[in-house]
Amino acid sequence: MEIRLRYFGQLQEATGKSEEVLKEAFDTIGSLRNFLIQRYPQLKNRNFKIAQDNKIDMDSSPLNGSLIDLLPPFSGG
Amino acid sequence: MIMESRYQRHIQLNEVGSLGQEKIKQAKVLVIGVGGLGCPALQYLAAAGVGTLGMMDPDLVSLSNLQRQILFNENDLGKNKALSAEKHLQKLNSEIQIQAFPFALTHENAEEFISEFDIVIDGTDNFYTRYLISDQCILQDKVMVYGALYKFEGQVSVFNYQDGPSYRCLFPTPPINGEIPNCSDIGVLGMAPGIVGVYQALEAIKVILDLGDLLSGKLLCINLLSHQNTVLDFEKNQNEIDQITKSGKPIPVGNNDCFIDFEVSLEQLSAKEKIKWIDVREQDELPRLNYLNPLGSNVSVDVLMESKQKIIAFCQTGTRSKVFVGKMKRKGIKNCFSLKEGAKQLQEWLKNDRL
Repeated sequence: MEIRLRYFGQLQEATGKSEEVLKEAFDTIGSLRNFLIQRYPQLKNRNFKIAQDNKIDMDSSPLNGSLIDLLPPFSGG
Repeated sequence: MIMESRYQRHIQLNEVGSLGQEKIKQAKVLVIGVGGLGCPALQYLAAAGVGTLGMMDPDLVSLSNLQRQILFNENDLGKNKALSAEKHLQKLNSEIQIQAFPFALTHENAEEFISEFDIVIDGTDNFYTRYLISDQCILQDKVMVYGALYKFEGQVSVFNYQDGPSYRCLFPTPPINGEIPNCSDIGVLGMAPGIVGVYQALEAIKVILDLGDLLSGKLLCINLLSHQNTVLDFEKNQNEIDQITKSGKPIPVGNNDCFIDFEVSLEQLSAKEKIKWIDVREQDELPRLNYLNPLGSNVSVDVLMESKQKIIAFCQTGTRSKVFVGKMKRKGIKNCFSLKEGAKQLQEWLKNDRL
């Protein structure tokens, strides 16, 4: 199954992408996170949440969605 | 004949009506941070007739604020933001109670000031204050309307609404210093905080009126370039909330990225204290204080990192030193402060108190 990833905020600069499609399979949200950190070392120690199919989920949750959003906190006011 | 009233266009709406307008009048909203988010939020809330409207900000209006902080004009330059906002908002609506607090929200005063209001709008630009607002809102069961941005993207959410999730449920771990830049570091298009700030005002009014779907348990992500707006659901994390309620007071964020606490005045310093002074001025600026560290922009981070002494940077007026200290803080140097006064006052102080 393909998953579509969308990077928000500073994560676009860290990965150099706003979106991408992955063909790999992942058991959990956490395993996707680890895969991305390997692929983009800049993501290491970054603080970001992962949502699947429009719901922010825990790293221990099974990954079964097709749309994945990666969200850092924002600061500026 | 129908009498024209200020809130006619609200009252005409079935969803608001006279009853709704009365609710708005009874509401008490505090806006913390009168900047890019706070200014537009305050204008709409004052215009809407929010009966008690508070605004808190220790900062002064500077020229680079006018590009987006639309409540201010050139006459306000150098004046406190909360006091300037109060003056303008009073002209917009003299029927409401406006309270200006020209100082920073701190762990000492947060409980007292937040207790006076029902809803707090987070218009801050740092995580230190944001987590403080969040924790205090959890403890006092106040609704917090969150807004933040990065370049052309915004985030909006409503926390603690009817036992709903809090900011810590969304982002339990505060970012490390420098991980998340703010508007003054990276720049921002003026309209971006404008849109997010108006969204915050909208959500506050919807809370007051109990109207429509609120962004409680939802994070609205706005992309101003692509117009791809996304609403993401998130759940309450009871452990995060219990941590605060059990502690009974806000838990300070380890990495303080709030400039206010970086500043130190000569009056606060003891003559006995060992201080590593750093001159961040150019070589030709007077008076020269040659026996101090003339390191400035060439300062070695390693030297500062190893310093056991308190590090205080100074310039002519306390502005450049503040920027310098911000940079040092983001590099992880903790014991570093910016002198509020300038080199001239420091020279006097050194003569009188130390030599």
